[in-house]
Amino acid sequence: MTVGREGHSQVGSGAATRVEAEPSAGSAIRISNVTKSFGAPGHGPTVLRTIDLTVRENEFVSLVGRSGCGKTTLLNIIAGLERPTSGTVEIHGRAVRGPGQGQGVVFQQHALFPWMTALRNVVFGFRDASLSKSDKQERARELLQLVGLSAAADKYPREMSGGMQQRVAIARALALDPEILLMDEPFGALDELTRIELQQELLRIWEARKKTVVFVTHSINEALALSDRVILLAPHPGRIERDLAIDLPRPRLRTDPRFIALHEEIWKGLSS
Amino acid sequence: MRGRLVLQYAVSAAVIVGAIALWELGVKTGYLKAYQFPPASRIAEGFVEIATTGFPTGITIWSHVLTTVTRILQGYLAALALAIPVGLVIGAFPLVNKMLEPVIVFCRSIATLSLLPLVIVWFGAGELTKVILIAYGCFWVMLSNVIAAVVYVDPVLIRAGRSFGLKGVALYREVVLPAALPRMFAGARMALGVGFMVIVGAEMIGTIEGLGALIMEARTFYRSEITIIGMLVIGVLGFVISTGLAALERVLLPWGATGEGARA
Amino acid sequence: MNRERLTNIALPLIGTLIVVAVWEAASRLGAIDPRVFPGPVTAIAEAAGRLSADTVGEHMAWSLFRVFSGFALGVAAGVVIGVLAGWYRWFGLIARPLIELLRPIPPLAWIPLAIIWFGLGEPSKFFIIFLGAFFPVVTATYHGVTNVDPILVRAARTFGVGGWSLLARIVLPAASPDLATGIRIGWGLSFGVLVAAELIAADRGLGYMIMNERNTGGSVSVIIVGILLIGFLNLLTDAAIGSAIQRWIGRWHGSGV
Repeated sequence: MTVGREGHSQVGSGAATRVEAEPSAGSAIRISNVTKSFGAPGHGPTVLRTIDLTVRENEFVSLVGRSGCGKTTLLNIIAGLERPTSGTVEIHGRAVRGPGQGQGVVFQQHALFPWMTALRNVVFGFRDASLSKSDKQERARELLQLVGLSAAADKYPREMSGGMQQRVAIARALALDPEILLMDEPFGALDELTRIELQQELLRIWEARKKTVVFVTHSINEALALSDRVILLAPHPGRIERDLAIDLPRPRLRTDPRFIALHEEIWKGLSS
Repeated sequence: MRGRLVLQYAVSAAVIVGAIALWELGVKTGYLKAYQFPPASRIAEGFVEIATTGFPTGITIWSHVLTTVTRILQGYLAALALAIPVGLVIGAFPLVNKMLEPVIVFCRSIATLSLLPLVIVWFGAGELTKVILIAYGCFWVMLSNVIAAVVYVDPVLIRAGRSFGLKGVALYREVVLPAALPRMFAGARMALGVGFMVIVGAEMIGTIEGLGALIMEARTFYRSEITIIGMLVIGVLGFVISTGLAALERVLLPWGATGEGARA
Repeated sequence: MNRERLTNIALPLIGTLIVVAVWEAASRLGAIDPRVFPGPVTAIAEAAGRLSADTVGEHMAWSLFRVFSGFALGVAAGVVIGVLAGWYRWFGLIARPLIELLRPIPPLAWIPLAIIWFGLGEPSKFFIIFLGAFFPVVTATYHGVTNVDPILVRAARTFGVGGWSLLARIVLPAASPDLATGIRIGWGLSFGVLVAAELIAADRGLGYMIMNERNTGGSVSVIIVGILLIGFLNLLTDAAIGSAIQRWIGRWHGSGV
C-alpha cells in the first residue's frame, strides 16, 4: 500500500483540468502528463496528448471513444507493452517500466495460445517459479471453475466458442493474481447475449476478487452497465474529454431513466 | 452425404477404368502405337517382370524405390538439420534477416538442377552429388519458411506473452517457437516436394539405379511400359509421403493449425 | 519515414555486398581453391573471355522462348479445364480423377515419355514445361471456382445475372486470387523444369550451355556465371509476374500472392 507516500499529492501540470477530485488514498494507477506519438519526435502522428488520470483501488473504469482516440494505446501503456513518449505511469506508486508489474491483460482477440489446451493456457499464467507444476494445475482448475469452464479444461482454443475463449483468457489473466486487470474490448467480437452474460460474470469476478479494472470499449451500454467511472476520449490527438462518475446501484437496468440520461450524455459527448 | 461420396468414388473409378479400356482398345485396333502407348495389359506384364527379375536385370523396382528414398532422406534430413537452427537464429534478429534476405531469395531462385554440372565438377557423378543437390533444394525452401514462420508469428500472441512479463529468450522459446511450428511444418512438407522433384532429374544423369534412372534407362531400351510403371511408382510414392506427412502433422500438432499461408 | 526507407534499401545492399566480399576474399586468400571455385571477379572475367555476348544471348533467348511458350499454353489449358471442371459437374466428374491421378507425378518424370511421344526435339521440352504450369494452374483454378463464396453468387442472382455472365463477371474474378497462386507456383515449376530439360537433352539454351561446358571439360567460371544468370533470370521473371499479379488483383485483394 502506498498511502501517504510522499509525492502522492504532487501531480503533473495537467492536474487542474481533471474533473475527478484528488483521491485521498489508495490510488491504484496514476497517469501523469502522458503523451504518445509514433515515428520520429515531431513528425509522426500524436496519438495521445497530455493525459492525466488517476484510478482508485478496486475501481472499475471504462475508456470510451471513437476509433483512433488512442484508448487501446493508453491501455497498452498502462500494461507496459508500449512506452509513452513523455509522462509517467505509476501503479501503486511504482513507475511502470514494462509488463509483469501486477497488470493482467485481456486482449480484444482472445490471444490464447492455440497450441495449448484451456488448462495449459491458464497454467501458463502462473509465472511464479516457486509453484510446483501440480500446484499450478490445481489453481488453474480453480480459475477455470471461477469462469464456469471446468468441463472444457482439455479443449483447444479452436474447439471453443468465442465466449468460452474469452473466459479462458480472463482466467489466464487472473492467474497472475494481478492488482490491475486491463481489458481491451474483450467482448467486442461476441454476440449480444454472450456479451451480456460475460459482463455479469466479469462483475461477479471483480466483486469477488477485488480488482482494479480498466476496460476499453466502444459500447456506451457496456461502459454504463459495468463501470464506476466512464472516461470519454476524443480523437486527433487522443485526449480526455469527460470524466463521468456512474453512481447507479448494480445490477443496472438499461430501462432505468438515469441510465438512459447518462447514455444520452455520453452520446452527446462523443458526437461533439 | 456419405452416399454421395461413395457415388463420387464410383464415378472416379469408372472414369479411370474407362480411360484404360479405351486406351487398350485404341492399341488393339491399331489407332495407337503400342510402343508409344503401351496398353494396360503390357504394363501389368512389365510390372511382374520388374518386381521379380528387375530392370535392368537384377535391380527390382523395390530396390530402385529404396535407392531413391535413401537419397532423398539423406539430403532432406541434412537440409532440415541445418535450415532449422539457422532459420531460427536469423528470424530472431530482424537486422540480420533484412541483410540476408536478398541472398536467401537469390539462392532459392537458382534452379537446383542448374547446379548439377558444377557439383559434378566438384564431387564427381556419384551418390554425394545427388544428395548435395537434394539438400540444396530443400535447404533454401526450408530456411525461408523457418524465417517467415518466426517473423510472422501473430503479434497478438507476442503481446499476450509479454503481458505475463516474458521477454528475450524465454519469450522466444515459450511463445514464438510453438507459434511458428505449423508454418515450419508446412515448409518441411514443401521442402520434401522439392527434394522429390530434384531427385528424379538428378537420377537421369550418370546412374542406373533409382526411379529417375529406371524410367530414362527403360526408354533407351524401348521399354516404354517400364517407363510408365516407373512414373506411376514415383507418383504413388510422392502421394504416400505427402499423406504420411500430413498425418504426422496432425499427431505432432494436435491443436489443428494447418500451415496456411505457407507458399513457395 | 525517410530513414526507414533508407535502411530498407541499405541493409539488404550491405548484406549482399558482405556475402559477395566473403566469397571473393575466400578465393583470394586461398580458403577455397580458385581453380575449383573461382571468386566472383575471376569468374566473370574468365567467362566473359570464353563466351561472346551473342552466344549467351542466343542461349538465353532459346531458354526464354521455351519457357514462356510452354508456360503460356499450360496456363491457358489449366484455366480452361479448371473452370470447366469447376463449373460443369459432369465435366468435373470426368476430368478430376484423371488430373488427381497424374498430378503427383513430378513434371521431370515425364521426360522419357515425352521423348517417346515427341522425339528429342523441341516439342518434348515444350510438353514438360507445359505440364509444369498446367497442374498447379488447373488445381488452383478448380479450387477457386468451386470455393467462390456462395453469397456472392446469390447476390449476383438477385440482379438477374446467370449462366455465362455469372461465370465471367462473378466467379472468375472471385477465383482470381487462387488462380494467381497457381500461376506463381506454375512459373517456378516451369522454370525449374526448363533447366532440367536443357541439361538432359538439348543442344541450345542456358542449361545446355553449362552442361556442355562441363562435358567438354571447359571452365568452372562459365558454369558458375551460367548458374548465376539462370538464377537472375528466374528472379526477374518471377518478380515481373508478381508485380503483374499485384496490378491485376492487388487493389481489391489486399496482398500480392
